[in-house]
This record gives sequence, C-alpha cells and structure tokens, in this order.
Amino acid sequence: MTGLPILEISGLHKSYGAVQAVDDVSLHVNRGEICGLIGPNGSGKSTFFDCATGLSRPNAGTVKLDGQDITGWSLNRIAREGRMLRSFQKTVVFSALDVEENLVIAGQMFTFPGLWSTFGIGAMARARVEALRERAREFIKIAGLWDVRHQPAGKLSGGQQKLIQFASMLMPEPKLILLDEPMAGINPKLIERVVESIRFANEKFGVSFLVIEHNIDVVTDICERIVVLDQGRKLAEGTPDEIVRNQAVREAYLGG
Amino acid sequence: MSPNDLSLPAPRRDLRLPFGAALAAAACLAPLFLGSYSLHAIIIALIFLLPAHGLNLLVGYTGLLSLAQAAFFGIGAYTSGLMAVHFGTPFYLNFLAAGLLAGAIALPLGIPALRLRATSFVMCTLGFVIIGQAIAKNWIGLTRGDMGLSGIPKPYFALGPASFTISGTTSFYYLVLVIAVIGTLAAYLIVRSAAGRNMVAIRENETLAESVGIPTWRYKLVVFMISAAFAGLGGSIYAHYLTVVSPLTFQMYYSTTMLIIVLGGGAGTISGVVFGSLLFVGLSEALRVAPEVRMIAYGLCLLALVFWFPKGFAPLIDRFWSFLRERK
Repeated sequence: MTGLPILEISGLHKSYGAVQAVDDVSLHVNRGEICGLIGPNGSGKSTFFDCATGLSRPNAGTVKLDGQDITGWSLNRIAREGRMLRSFQKTVVFSALDVEENLVIAGQMFTFPGLWSTFGIGAMARARVEALRERAREFIKIAGLWDVRHQPAGKLSGGQQKLIQFASMLMPEPKLILLDEPMAGINPKLIERVVESIRFANEKFGVSFLVIEHNIDVVTDICERIVVLDQGRKLAEGTPDEIVRNQAVREAYLGG
Repeated sequence: MSPNDLSLPAPRRDLRLPFGAALAAAACLAPLFLGSYSLHAIIIALIFLLPAHGLNLLVGYTGLLSLAQAAFFGIGAYTSGLMAVHFGTPFYLNFLAAGLLAGAIALPLGIPALRLRATSFVMCTLGFVIIGQAIAKNWIGLTRGDMGLSGIPKPYFALGPASFTISGTTSFYYLVLVIAVIGTLAAYLIVRSAAGRNMVAIRENETLAESVGIPTWRYKLVVFMISAAFAGLGGSIYAHYLTVVSPLTFQMYYSTTMLIIVLGGGAGTISGVVFGSLLFVGLSEALRVAPEVRMIAYGLCLLALVFWFPKGFAPLIDRFWSFLRERK
C-alpha cells in the first residue's frame, strides 16, 4: 500500500443560488480504507458526493483520483476511466431487465474498448459478453440471488435490489466505491449482509470505500476514519472513538 | 394397467422452424397468389419497414420519441432521385448514398436536439420535418419545388458489362423483400449486441446508465444517426418505386405512420414492428377501396388498438411464439 491517497478532494465549493451547500471541504480516502462521511440532514453530504462523482459540477475545488485530476469529468467518464463507482440514495436498478442482465450491463463499458466496439457482432464481442455473464453469475451466487436471477429486477424486494446495486458496482473491478446511505430503509438482518458485502469487497478485492451513512453503529463498526460535515463545512475528522467522544460532533449530530 | 396407459406422451414438437419455413415460403410465393394491388400494398409496407426499424431503435430501445423520420425519409428519397435523374447512377449506389447522407445529416441535427429534454426534443424533431419540406418546396433550382422530381428510373443495376432494370411489380416485390430481410436482420443484430443492451439501459434509467460508465449522450447521438440512415434507405426505395418525389415526401403523415407501426406493432421488439408495418400500411392501403370512410375507419382501428392492445401486438406475438415452442 502506497502512501498516496486514492481519492483526494481539496477546497470543494458548491452553491445553489445564495445557499452554500458545500463550503470549502477537503477530504481524502486512503488506499484500501473504508472512510465514513456523516452529518445531519442538509449538511451537504449528498451534494459533496455528486460533485466528487461528476453528477454535478463544483464551483471550485479539485478532485484527484489516484493522483489524476478528474475535476469536471462527467459521471460516466469517472466511472469508466477512473473506476470510481457510486450508488444512489434511492436504490435504482434497470427494472425491466433481469438480475443477470443488470450485472452484465454494469460491466460492459469496462470490457469493451469503446462505443463502436459495443456494436460488434463477432466472436470477440460474444466472448466478452460471455465472460461478463460468468462473472455476473459468480456475484449472483455470492449475493444469494441465484433463484431470482432471471426475474425482472424491478419485481424484487428493496433489499434484493440493494444487493443487485452493490454487485453491479463490483462488476468492473473498481478502485473506489462511494455509497450513499447503503443502510437506509432496510431491515436489521439485511444490514448485516450489506456490512459483510462491504468488508468482503474491501478485503478480497482491495476496494476502498467512502460511505455516507446515518446508522452510527454501522459507521463506527466498519470505518477506520470518519469525517463529519455540518452546514456544508467539515466539522471534525478522526477515528470512530475520537468522533464519538468529540463534543462538537455530539452537539451537532448525536444530540448532545 | 391397460396397454393404453403405457403409451408414451405425444412427443413435444418444436413448431418454430416449420412455422418460420412456411412464413418464408409464403413470402417467396406471394406474387403467385396475390393480385397486383395487394402486392403493391405489401411493397409499401416493406418499404416503410426500414424507417420503422430505425424509429424502433430510437423509441423502443433507447426511449427517445422522435417525429423526424419523415425528414430523413424525404432526404433519402431526394438524394436517390437527384442522383438517378442527374447522373444516371445505378440503384445500389443511390440507395447507399441515401442512407449515408440521411445518417450524416442527423449528426448536426442531433447534436443540439439531443441536449433538449423529452418534450422539447419531440417538438424539435417535428421542426426538422417542417424545415425539410420548406427546403424541398423553395430550393427550386435543386428540387424543382412543388413540381417535384419526376422520371426517376426504376431500380437499375449495373455490374460490369451486365445490367438489368427491375420494372415489374413482381420483381420489385422481390427486391424490396430482400432489402427488408437484410434490414430486419441488421436491426436484430444491433439490439442483440452489447450496444443494444446499453440502449435499453439508457431507456430504463439514464442516470444509472451513466453511473455504470455508459456515455449516454454519445449513444443517443449514434442511435439517432442509425435511425436516420434506416429512414433514408426507405426513402430511396420509395423514390425508385413511385418514380416521383415531391415536397409531400416530407410529411408529418409519414412520421406518424412510422410511429403507429412501432407503437402499434410493439415498441422494443423486432417482430412487432414487422407485423405492425404489414398490418397498418396494409390496412391503410386496403381501406382505399372505400375512400370516403378510409381515414375514419383507420382512426377507429387505432382507437380499438389502444383500448385492447395498449402494448401493441408484441405480447400476442410472444404468446403465439411460446405456443409453438411449448406444444405438448
């Protein structure tokens, strides 16, 4: 593990009209680390995520991935060329397509060298898709979705869709995954499963994580380091122990 | 146990292949059984099949509603007509040029149009048809305006020293049939490719598609161009079949007909569009026997369709297909 952080964001600003949603926030994620990002509702976490992943453009600041400046890149380019994947707060899947197709699509742009090659109909293109299908089936087995793999993803439960989303992000051998509230709206049994999945990806594939999460028990459990945002600014940063003991954090977030 | 109980169940026979063969035979032998008017109706249906396939890639697979098909249909028809009249080039050259030019013109039109959101995009594509018609009417030096281009030769092939002209309805039918089969195969290969899967992903959820690395905007532009090329190819055959083109080729009527074929047949399916073009164009042509009530009857048929088959005929075709497969 080299000392260089995998993700380094410095001086990020984003405003909507007069509202400073994110005000001069700097944050880094070390290689192989699971980093938490917490803060009360409206503290700018999601805006920060959107700016970091190219869904919206920051007003100022730089985003560096693996030493490369990716500020202003589009969402699809950051995913494709940077192998930095993200999830969405509201779980989304390709509803009309079955589970297997969902995962194959998630991997396609990483095995085909470009847009034109995806129109290919030759043996090479078929072999590429077949390899993706194999990989998809492995993940489907691990995620426990084997029996429903040919069902439309939209027909499955919220928890199952969450697992599909997570498996989709693992398809392209990502360097870094940004999770936006992975535990929101799922039952305790499934929370354990998602936690396991994160640990699995982190240990087995060396994926680094930045996780927005409200469930403080989960965050302190899986994260090595936590960053706290409040009103668009960075309030604190430290190990889970330090954060839980931090007086300012307790007042702003944990309710004293 | 009586001996009867020991008899094996009737073997499951897959009827898809025999059915396909029967369909192919029917298509090949149709001129023997059909009168020249019915044959003409089928020719028109097969000509419209190409633009419909193109539109289906856009509407059914990528989720972009477009009314621009008539514009590219007209561009294809004029390209072919002008080349044939002025340079006497053989059919296959005109045909390819029509597809290429329509596809190429879609590039500068698509770049601004695809920046627009759903409804604005539809209005913009409608504008392309109107602009196309205005140009065809007013650029008299090139298009002869409202007089139109006449005397476009029937498809003429020249391969080395040999040359021949397709003049009769029957031979034209076979030419269009071959082109329609190739076009259908091309559309099928596109939707079955990795790109086809990405197109469906864009239709299902554009932001999610972006997040898995799919350059959605570039895909939409490419599909818009392919769709236009299909329309241009259709326009080319149309010009060579009717031997005249006029500004009326740029008509909303054509765009809506193609849309009816796709939505009525079954958007997002290849077989639905084939069925749709035969049904709707065939129906429209067949109703010409009663010109007074033709459009009223056509409209009533569409209303009935919307009520009883909101997803088009694709689900019915699917059911029929699995009936052939699972027959016990």
